[in-house]
Formats: sequence, structure tokens, C-alpha cells
Amino acid sequence: MQTVLSVAVVGTYLVVLTFVAVRARAAREFAEFSLAKRALPLALVFGSLAATYVGPGFSIGFVGRGFKSGLLFLGIGLAYAVQNILVGLFVAPRLRRLKGCHTLGDAIGQKYDRKCQILAGIISVGLCAGFAAVMAKAGGDVLRSIFGLPHWSSVIVVVGITALYTTFGGLRASVITDAFQFSAFAILLPLMLLLVLMFHLNGGAATFAKEASAATTAGFDSTSPIKILGLVAAFLLGETLIPPYANRALASKTTSISRNGFVLAGLFSFVWFMVMIALGIAARSIIQGDIEEDKVLMKLVESTMPAAGYALLLVVLISIIMSSLDSLLNAGAVAFTQDIVKPFAKVPDGTALNIGRCATIIIAAIAAVGALAVPSIIGGLLICYTIWAPAILPVLIIGLWIKRPRPLAGILSMGIGTLVAIMFQFVFPSATEVPAIIPALGAALLAYILGHWIEKVYEERKRWE
Amino acid sequence: MGVVILVLVVIAALFAVVSGVWVALALITAISEHNAEQMSSDKDNKI
Repeated sequence: MQTVLSVAVVGTYLVVLTFVAVRARAAREFAEFSLAKRALPLALVFGSLAATYVGPGFSIGFVGRGFKSGLLFLGIGLAYAVQNILVGLFVAPRLRRLKGCHTLGDAIGQKYDRKCQILAGIISVGLCAGFAAVMAKAGGDVLRSIFGLPHWSSVIVVVGITALYTTFGGLRASVITDAFQFSAFAILLPLMLLLVLMFHLNGGAATFAKEASAATTAGFDSTSPIKILGLVAAFLLGETLIPPYANRALASKTTSISRNGFVLAGLFSFVWFMVMIALGIAARSIIQGDIEEDKVLMKLVESTMPAAGYALLLVVLISIIMSSLDSLLNAGAVAFTQDIVKPFAKVPDGTALNIGRCATIIIAAIAAVGALAVPSIIGGLLICYTIWAPAILPVLIIGLWIKRPRPLAGILSMGIGTLVAIMFQFVFPSATEVPAIIPALGAALLAYILGHWIEKVYEERKRWE
Repeated sequence: MGVVILVLVVIAALFAVVSGVWVALALITAISEHNAEQMSSDKDNKI
């Protein structure tokens, strides 16, 4: 009975989602595919940003962390909220002000040179494919648990449906469906928390506070200060302005919408973490015995909700995963067209649109194949964060702030940042207790300073000759 | 203390629900505006 209901609810949800995607209509030109004609209002920018960053880690993962470590991860999550607010106040408006800019690579190209744009484009496409593979794995896991299909076919269904509406509708379809998916999970999961608090919390507020205190103490006991520092760094920098977020900053109707969208998304992230952590803490007085972190949310729903509640949770999980996946596919395709193809050849608008569509399908295929190799959701995400921050952030942020950024500094910082991150992550994973993101970021900054200084000295010498 | 934490959590949950409703209303507006735009462009094409 429960399986039939789950299949019916998920099927209905997919039909409604397809209807919403169709209403978004197919993109007719590249500017529509890449930036939705720069006409997004505040609510859609905010909803789409929040829908993109709330993935399996910020939902299932955070409930599990609340269960095991109490309020510790609320403090760590605060770093993520601060990052979004800082990006909104200082970076997004500057990015939005750049003229004719479709991607982060474009922004880097305008500030440095074409070579830097191409390198930034390659890193962006690679990272989008990596993040998309993690989301595809998570989506495959959820569908497998509903329909009992083999993992590879579940992955194909999730990636196939997402790729279909993203290929035709581009950013506009992605943002519209994100808004729909955001509404689904932002309403259903907090309502579930309220129901749990009202009807299932044994012992009331006193028990809740006692469980929160016990879990938080256990969290601090099992996490070393250096590990907490690494987690704060990963939350503060790892996802900063990844391509889908940058696209939303660029696609906002005005500079102030771009700024406010990020600030609101930052505030919402803190609220969201509170809700997820509270679900985890509430689960401690309901679920007995030891349980894996990633299974706490599922178990809580099974223990407290009727069969329809379980089916709705599956809808919420699919929404969370597809809204992140579609944004990554679109951002990767736009970066490929704008930063890798266009610098080499002048392509007419129609051709650029078709290249973007083909790239969406190719990145989706790579993500589907890569999903089978992803070790775990959190593990996969951490690898992507570790590479993204050192590879792009110093170049982008310094480039937006200083008067004359030097191309050599850009190339060296992106190249060395990527290499050091890969080395610490894959070749010498146990070389140091410090998370790889910190030495890689340090190396990228040093390389930037070195490149800037070499080119400056070279220019001055040339001027004297 | 427990009551204060619980009240904060309830406020956070309500804030999230209101955000969801706000985005849903914006989505409905965007879709209906788009429909109106498409109908007027269809009319222009017929003329």
C-alpha cells in the first residue's frame, strides 16, 4: 500500500514539475538560455539560490549532524550564512555591473585576459560535472528506494528528466522549476518539524533542551579544534560563487536584486540549518538505539508520519536533488559555450544556443556515468569544494577589487591552486591533519602574489628600456 | 532556557514556511505574466 502511494505521489509530482517546466517555454536565444535575459525578480533569485544550495548535504546530512552533534553544526553552518551575506554585499553587485558578462569565466576574461577565461571555463565545466555527478548519485539512491530499480537506471531517470527541461528551457526553466521545488521543500520540512514538536516530542521543551545539550557536548568531544577549523573554512569558502550562483547574480534584473537575493539566501540558510538541526535533536527522543547519520531523517519520518507523509518526504528529497542538478547542468553548459568555445570562434547566436543545449546533454551523460564512481555524497561534495575555492576564488575576488589585475597572476593562481588541491586530496590525503582546502588556498594566494609581482617588474623594466 | 530554544526553532520553521509561500506566489505571478505575454504576442501575429 505504502509503495503504491509513494509511486502515485512521486508520479504526480513529476507531472506537475513537467507542466511548470513547459510553462517556462524553450529558450529562443543564447542570452535567454544563459541569463534568462537578465530579468529575474528578487523572489525567484532568492528561491533559486536557496534551492540550489540546499542539496542532500544541507538536508539529510544536517538532520544527521543535529542528531549526533547537536548545535555544533549550527555554529559551523553560520559560516555559510556569513559567506552568502558577504558575497551579496560586496561581490555580487560588482559582478552584476560588468557588461556583457554571462559567466564567471567571462568576468575573469574581462579583468585578466582570454587565456584566464579559458582556464576558468575548463575548471567551471569540470566542477559542474563533478557536483552534478554527486547530485545524480543522490537522486539515484532516492529513486531506487521508491521503485526498487537498479541504481544505474534510477540515475538515468533522474538525470534524464532534469536534462530534458534544462536543455530546452535553459536558465529560465531551471529558475522556474527551482522556485517550484523550493516551495515544496521549504514548506513541507518545517511543517514536519512543527508536527513533530507538537505531537511527538516526549517531555516537551525541557527534554529538547537536554537532548540539545547532550548532543552538542558529544559533538565537541568527538571533533578536534583543527577539524572544526577545517569545516568552518569549507563552509565559508568551498561553495562561494560556484557557477550556478554566479549565473543567478548575473541574471538578476538589477544590481540591488542581485545583492538582496544573496543576503536573503544567506539569512535563509541559517534559518534552514536551525530547522534541520532541530529535526535531528527532536529525533533523539523518538528514535532509539544507534543509527547512521544519513538515515535519521528517513527513520524520523517513518516513526512519526503516516504513509502519505513518507511519500511527501520522497517528493521533498527529489525536489532538493533535482533543483541542484538542473542549475549545475545549465551552468556547466553555459560555461562551456561562453568560456571554451566562443574565445576560439565567432559563433552566431543560434549556433551558440545549440552548442549550449548539446553541452547540457553531454555534461548530464558525464554526470550519470560519474555518479556510479562517487564514493559518498558528502565525500564527493568535499572533493569539489576543496578544488573550487583555491582554483577560482582568489583570482575572481582580487580581480574584481584591484585596478589592474595581471594575467600571469590569474594563470598561476588558478593552475597552482587546482594542482595543490588535487595533490592534497588524492595523492597525499593523509599528509597533514589540516583539510586540503587550507594549504591549497594558501598556495593559490602565494602564486597570485608571485605572478602579479613578476609581471609588474617585467612591465616596469620594459618601460625603462 | 528550553522554552526559549523551542520558541526560536518554531519562529525559524515559520520563517521558512513563509519564504516558501512567498516564492510560490512569485512563481505563479511569473507564469501568469508569461502566459499573458504569449497570448498578446499570438494576437499580434494573427493581426
